[in-house]
Amino acid sequence: MTENLNTPIIPTWCPGCFNFQILAAVKSYINEEIKNGKKKDDFAIVSGIGCHAKIFDYVNLNGINTLHGRVLPTCLGMKVGNPNLNVIAFSGDGDAYAEGMEHLIHAARFNSNFKYFIHNNQVFALTVAQPTPTTEVGYKDKTTPLGVKTYPINPLKIMLAAGASFVARVYADKAQIEYVFKEAMKHKGFTFVEIIQPCIIFHPDKGYKEKTYSLEKEGHDKTNFDAAWKKANEFDYNGVDEKTKIPLGIFYQKEKPVFEDLHPQLVELKKKKISWKDIKR
Amino acid sequence: MKFTILFGGQAGQGPNILSILLGKALIERGYYVFMSRDYQSLIRGGHNFNVLTFSETPVYSNDSEIDLIVALDENTINKHKKELKQNGHIISGEGKGNMYFAGRLFKSLCLDFNVLEGQLKKLKERLEENLKEAREGYDEEKKTMCKVLINKNKLSFMNGNQGISDGAIKSGLDVYFAYPMTPATNVLGELAEKQIENNLIVLELESEIAVINAAIGSSITGAKTMIGTSGGGFDLMTESLSLTGIAEVPLVIYLASRPGPSTGVATYTAQGDLDMARYAGHGEFPRMIIAPGNPREAEELTSQAFYFSQKFGIPVIVLSDKHLAESVYSSDKEAKITSSKKMISLKRFNSYETDQFGCATEDAEQIKKNVEARLKKGKEIEKEAENFEGFKLHGKNSKNLIVSWGSPAGAILDAVEGLNVQFLQVLYLEPFPKKIKKELEGKNIILIENNATGQLGKLIAEKTGIFIEDKNKILKYDGRPFLADELKKEIKGRLK
Repeated sequence: MTENLNTPIIPTWCPGCFNFQILAAVKSYINEEIKNGKKKDDFAIVSGIGCHAKIFDYVNLNGINTLHGRVLPTCLGMKVGNPNLNVIAFSGDGDAYAEGMEHLIHAARFNSNFKYFIHNNQVFALTVAQPTPTTEVGYKDKTTPLGVKTYPINPLKIMLAAGASFVARVYADKAQIEYVFKEAMKHKGFTFVEIIQPCIIFHPDKGYKEKTYSLEKEGHDKTNFDAAWKKANEFDYNGVDEKTKIPLGIFYQKEKPVFEDLHPQLVELKKKKISWKDIKR
Repeated sequence: MKFTILFGGQAGQGPNILSILLGKALIERGYYVFMSRDYQSLIRGGHNFNVLTFSETPVYSNDSEIDLIVALDENTINKHKKELKQNGHIISGEGKGNMYFAGRLFKSLCLDFNVLEGQLKKLKERLEENLKEAREGYDEEKKTMCKVLINKNKLSFMNGNQGISDGAIKSGLDVYFAYPMTPATNVLGELAEKQIENNLIVLELESEIAVINAAIGSSITGAKTMIGTSGGGFDLMTESLSLTGIAEVPLVIYLASRPGPSTGVATYTAQGDLDMARYAGHGEFPRMIIAPGNPREAEELTSQAFYFSQKFGIPVIVLSDKHLAESVYSSDKEAKITSSKKMISLKRFNSYETDQFGCATEDAEQIKKNVEARLKKGKEIEKEAENFEGFKLHGKNSKNLIVSWGSPAGAILDAVEGLNVQFLQVLYLEPFPKKIKKELEGKNIILIENNATGQLGKLIAEKTGIFIEDKNKILKYDGRPFLADELKKEIKGRLK
């Protein structure tokens, strides 16, 4: 059984945008799941505002293209409304780390079982090139003629400190995304996956790709928090030089209590495979 | 006969517990009771007081003059003795336990000791100590203030927030999200306590922004969803309110006001947020605003809020204030609940203007079509609302007409007794009932609101072209509710 995941919309990302890699990986993953017996309506897609969010228009799934920065509470609400729904969410770095940072930390705390993917291009691309919280010092655009003065945040360290149960980073490459997608979907709980997605117009890859290496191949122990912390410290998002190393893969994974399993009302809905919509009063 | 008691003391001394204890005993004896709470934003110390008024006939407010003061501390006497009637009485006792005062109070109202004992047994905790203290007080009290008898009335006793909570449960609430903020917080507590027995879920999230977005998430999966907050929290929600407008998400929003701007006066009352409720959120989209005036109306209007929100996929704001939310009212009628179906199934929702596939669009024709669909829905809501009681007319037709909304209704109903004036209470503020215009024409209109600018007055002017004269506006904006006797004087001076 296959499903048409296409919409009639022709993508308006720039030709060659790395977002196409992410889109291809997502569709390929969902199609495979459908082949394995899942239904299209078992999935929901959520996105925020920015270039990343256009993915909502290109994948024919139910869900919501919500407000800037509010992807995470929306997903939590969808899981509360229907804990059986497979919610897959996308954000940009503006969405996740600027406007929505408050929710990011709490999402790690709640550990609700939905999947979160951040397209980090280190720039506000759709509003034309302003810096985000992960933009490197010295970056210049029309709004920052004197250059960015503040040091970028390291989102992986924030997520590890906040108690996230799944912390990963990949490069915007179809194969890598497909791999992490599968691992994230298998994980029980909130998954934080950052995709380094250079913006070919405003923030191109300034030598990132050649500095990357696979944590898996290196034999990194993803169950070891201290090791994860050390690996997260290797790249500070503040540009690259000859010493820079950018580890990719799953930094940390630990089974922690899942939000939906801590509330008897939701446990009951899961057991009966229903949502509140099915409860007649 | 109307009898008013003030219970005062420090936070933690329990003036609230004592007044509820008496209130329940009076309700069981068929007395109508109204009890308001005045408390400061602190946990221990300070000065808190409750005022309880009871009568054999309906009563919905307090008077400014007090028959009896139960003073748990010296400060209460200093602050309130000027409000005491000439033949009034003060019950005090340095260093005495809480129930000592209950003993003296029940005796002075000629209630049998076993009536108090019955109430103390229901408290469960500290029964032996409580009984001992109560007996000491009961034996010591010598002054008889009034004789409480048994009336035939069958009454319930609840505050506005309980009305909202019960109304939501009876409407089939599935999910409630909130962030604590006075005076809406008690709904969070009420519903949380009742969530298991009623199979619904109640969650506190990290902020009001998280609350409304989570609510949108749960509502689009088909769950009947409600949120509650006060003005400041509502401010934070407004971007997402606009999202419910474009994405057509059903949502019931309980907005319990307190004095603003900003943090204002956290534990006091005001009706300053009608303008905000009407205009919050960017862009143009249909919404409803409905305002109960007592806990029974709160139940009824909450059920109507669910009905309209589900039927039309819109946000419905149930507007209340601290005075209604936390004052306790007696009622001799059952609420009439409007039932509602769950109308939403998960599909493609969007914060952008969309085409038929739920994808973002910039097409001029499509935008125009969507805007007009929202306008049309606004008209349909207006039409449907005509099937509901959008306003109430209290009393006989008169050339004098009071107009008001929300919590002042209580004091107005008590104040107009014996006066040649009719009272029009607006329940539906948006859509504004067209029939109101006819009722206002040619009348000496007196506007009563618990705010400084007469926001209902502005709404009436906008919708009907009828302007109420400034001298006919009775506005109170000191954080306190209207008192019936004072209000009566204000009204009298404006009658023709």
